[in-house]
Amino acid sequence: MSGPARAPSGEETIPFTFDGTTYHARPGDTLAAALLANGVGLVARSFKYHRPRGIMSAGIEEPNALVTVGKGGRTEPNTRATDVFVYPGMVAMSQNRWPSLSFDIASIFGLAAPALGAGFYYKTFFGPAKHWMLYEGFIRRAAGLGNAPTEPDPDNFSQRAGFCDVLVVGSGPAGLKAALEAAEAGKRVMLVEQDAVPGGSLLRDPDPAIDPAAMVERIKALGGEVLLRTTASGYWDHNFLTLTQRLVEPGAVPPHGFAQRLWHVRAGRVVLATGLIERPVPFANNDHPGVMLSQAVRSYVRRWGVLPGKRVVVATNNDDAYLTAQALVEAGAEVVALLDARASGPAAPAGVSVHYDARPSSVTGRKHALRNVTAVIGGSEQSFEADLIAVSGGFVPVSHLHMQAGGKLVWNEEAQAFIPGETPQMCETIGSALSPPPAPAVAPAGKAKKSFVDFQNDVSLADIDLAWQEGYRSVEHLKRYTTLGMATDQGKTSNMVALSRLAEKQGVTVPQAGLTTFRPPFTPVTMGLLAGAGARNAGAHVRRIPLHVLHKAHDPIWQPLGYWFRPRAYPVDGESLAQAALREARTVRTVAGLSDVSTLGKFEVSGPDAAALLELVCATTVGKLAVGRGRYTFMLREDGFVSDDGTVWRLAENRYLLTSSTGGADRMAHHISYVRNSLRPDLKCSVVNVQEHYAGIALAGPRARSILSALIGAEPPRHMGYVPGVLAGVPVHVLAASYSGERAFEIHVEASHAAAVWKAIEAATRAEGGAPYGLEAMELLRIEKGHVVVGGEVDGRSTPQDLGLGGMLNKAGGFIGAAGLTRPALALPDRNNLVGLVSLDGPIPEGGMLIQRAGQSPQGHVTAAARRILEGGAIALALLEGGHKRHGEEMIVSSPTRGEKARVRVTSPHFYDPAGERYRD
Amino acid sequence: MTDPTSITVIPAAPLHALEIWANPQAVATRVQKALGFALPVMGRSAANGAITLMRFEPNVWLAEGDVSVLADTLGDDGALTGIGGGVVRFRIAGPGWRELLLEGGVFDTSAAALPAGATAATVIDHVGVRLHVESDDACVVYVPSSYAQSLHHFWDAALPLLGA
Repeated sequence: MSGPARAPSGEETIPFTFDGTTYHARPGDTLAAALLANGVGLVARSFKYHRPRGIMSAGIEEPNALVTVGKGGRTEPNTRATDVFVYPGMVAMSQNRWPSLSFDIASIFGLAAPALGAGFYYKTFFGPAKHWMLYEGFIRRAAGLGNAPTEPDPDNFSQRAGFCDVLVVGSGPAGLKAALEAAEAGKRVMLVEQDAVPGGSLLRDPDPAIDPAAMVERIKALGGEVLLRTTASGYWDHNFLTLTQRLVEPGAVPPHGFAQRLWHVRAGRVVLATGLIERPVPFANNDHPGVMLSQAVRSYVRRWGVLPGKRVVVATNNDDAYLTAQALVEAGAEVVALLDARASGPAAPAGVSVHYDARPSSVTGRKHALRNVTAVIGGSEQSFEADLIAVSGGFVPVSHLHMQAGGKLVWNEEAQAFIPGETPQMCETIGSALSPPPAPAVAPAGKAKKSFVDFQNDVSLADIDLAWQEGYRSVEHLKRYTTLGMATDQGKTSNMVALSRLAEKQGVTVPQAGLTTFRPPFTPVTMGLLAGAGARNAGAHVRRIPLHVLHKAHDPIWQPLGYWFRPRAYPVDGESLAQAALREARTVRTVAGLSDVSTLGKFEVSGPDAAALLELVCATTVGKLAVGRGRYTFMLREDGFVSDDGTVWRLAENRYLLTSSTGGADRMAHHISYVRNSLRPDLKCSVVNVQEHYAGIALAGPRARSILSALIGAEPPRHMGYVPGVLAGVPVHVLAASYSGERAFEIHVEASHAAAVWKAIEAATRAEGGAPYGLEAMELLRIEKGHVVVGGEVDGRSTPQDLGLGGMLNKAGGFIGAAGLTRPALALPDRNNLVGLVSLDGPIPEGGMLIQRAGQSPQGHVTAAARRILEGGAIALALLEGGHKRHGEEMIVSSPTRGEKARVRVTSPHFYDPAGERYRD
Repeated sequence: MTDPTSITVIPAAPLHALEIWANPQAVATRVQKALGFALPVMGRSAANGAITLMRFEPNVWLAEGDVSVLADTLGDDGALTGIGGGVVRFRIAGPGWRELLLEGGVFDTSAAALPAGATAATVIDHVGVRLHVESDDACVVYVPSSYAQSLHHFWDAALPLLGA
């Protein structure tokens, strides 16, 4: 019997399935170890040619053994079998094969390999664009490895902050020592290890003098934090690192509901003890199951008690592989040959025949293992019957984090490797990554076409040669042309082999050939982890208005507005949204309605210089307001464009209330803070954001005044007046302002007492035949009145003059944006101006383009469309080139995307009560 | 063992923003005389039985409690503005409060960085909050009312993670 195996010990207690077959693993087994232990060597099919693939490594660098783990929404495709620990009930499936792993019809692509080399897509899929429709389906079906789950992920993902004096990445001998020393020196230490147990290379090559578990306990006892199953995936500026922590294994059900955690760590100093990755060796069929990295073989033998093969060839260019031969012999395997590419090497284990100047040239194999290894020894070919070849082509220091940190690399000729050099951050690399073993360059033997370099992308030496022949000189171009170094492993095992080949072709040294860029993440990161809590129902929080519960009792249609949720309409008796909104708007026009305007931006400005600050922020005059009066205002950016609008009220001698739009509230808060603290820190005033302190209730309609008068027991203020009052026993601010075009009031009340006030107003309004109204009715009302909305007509490109507000500008100037407004371009006659549109036939499509005849370029667009509330007929607001002087023109509103159009007449934007008589008592 | 870390909504209390724009030394002297304690420095709090002052900005303090005495000390050098209607106060207590506040946070909540009496304005899961460490065992978090329910849910969901 040949192939991988493990002698049963009775510890095989963990059941799991692979492709539907049940196996048993030992505690601590990776899926790769467990599969090998159960004699399974074939675990995957390659990306392009569907070649049979086995397990090459024992770590995160694995390019071949990608499987899908888990069920339903927890399904995680493209999981490295070497980086997932078996748990009871684990379900693992092979990928990229049909109908089965053993018999994959798509492996026929392998026969066409000569025609499918580098640049195949670029050379094949060209021609008329319509042909792409044919190519696309084929390419999409063929592309990719595992399939993403179609169900939502049921688990949560945590994001957590971390802080430490010293962050040590890697718990091998160097990392353990550094972490313990720092902890003993009183430093706050974090030690992260991507494996499930500490030790790193000690798990493969134990040192009796080092006890990783004891060292970890000591670090913890000194207050250090040790994170296992945690990968430092990104190194950003200012020693900020992101760590990805698996709280449970992929596909497992987390007991606390969280599958993974993304750490945001700010470290005083970073110590990278990230070790080495072994280089594979190119030769024909070097991707077959049974071809493994030498150190991986040693790991399976010593850590997991698995014998990946019983008759083994070891091929190397360095001394380290001799340790593998020793481990194999000790485990009872037969090392049939040790092929050393060098002229000499260290002493080999007893009974092992060493061949110098020897390189593997090809292998043949069975389903789960090799059959035969052919080598070139001293220029002659020789074959060995073997089920496994353990290869070592040297070592690559893991310098990804060092490079992400902005570090430099230094070429080590003896090891044929780049090692970490200088870094601009408080970071150092220690341990084996600084001193890889000597490993001379070795010319590959065997057919280049089947000598794979990038196993994950089926890139062979021949593909690199072809790219070179076709003129791709830069390593970056090589990468993109061949797909070398892409996908989940990001070239961890392939880049240096490929670089060596490119350098050889160019006739330059490897450093001269160049390097591709190291980018985060170091290993693949689940998308849900980046979304964090936002993947569920937090993170992108729902902002609840103070009266949320009261509104909910009316079962309204809710409208998301940023994070806010506001009632859009309150349908009754099965009304549609449109029907409800029209009824509510008509109620406002004929009786009275109340609406929740709590989300308005609100700022209380107080102090002797309050007016001075407001005259800087607002483009209208403020300073002359009498106590108890208010006015409409708008604010500009420094470039002169309108950024927001609202109202400003003088509550007392030195106290004002400024309101602004809901959508612009946060922006306005930043702006006012900037003005207060940066532009005019000298002003004697205070600006406080009271958006959430006050709830706001709008009461509008011809009976609003009488309703309010009864509620507050006093005469309400005239239009744009303010009085303090008491309503339902609660102190309120009563502001006489209208957005609807009717006599209207805003009642602002401390939010925690707003419910009583709303209930009183609602009861009194309903008693008069009125009703609550939502955002949709508010939109109908304001369009008919011709009021602008920020985000609609105020689109960041409108000046006050464009919107017909130029007459309100503070003629004394001095406000932010005054200088910007003087730019000649802002006074050109063909600027987009706010106009109204009246339909001459059907509804006006919102967002439609304004044109004069078919085929003409748009001269403007519709910003908001509605219908007349009482009279019927379609109207709209629009921004039209030179619109102020085009009233009376007939135009066409065209919406090609909706296939709709309407003839319209350009008018004033004020359709309803243009004289403002309805504001007055 | 049941995790003893608890999240409690504290009944509303009067909250005001105190901003001093002029004569800070004179105001500080008047405040100390009136309240019996000095205006706290940045990132710290001070209190008597009636009022707690917490400093979160260079010229702005959060005043919790009865501000009637404080108002009389300001003159034309500063102002008090009510903000309590828009804030929900949570007390997070128990051995895991520091760890819980690291969830979705960007702020170092260790005892060394945030000792008893300390204050901080920070962000938790995208929500701007203010922290006041009452004692080694408890921290009061001032959350905008609109976010309170969502953030409470966020913390509840994260409780089982403590120690994980």
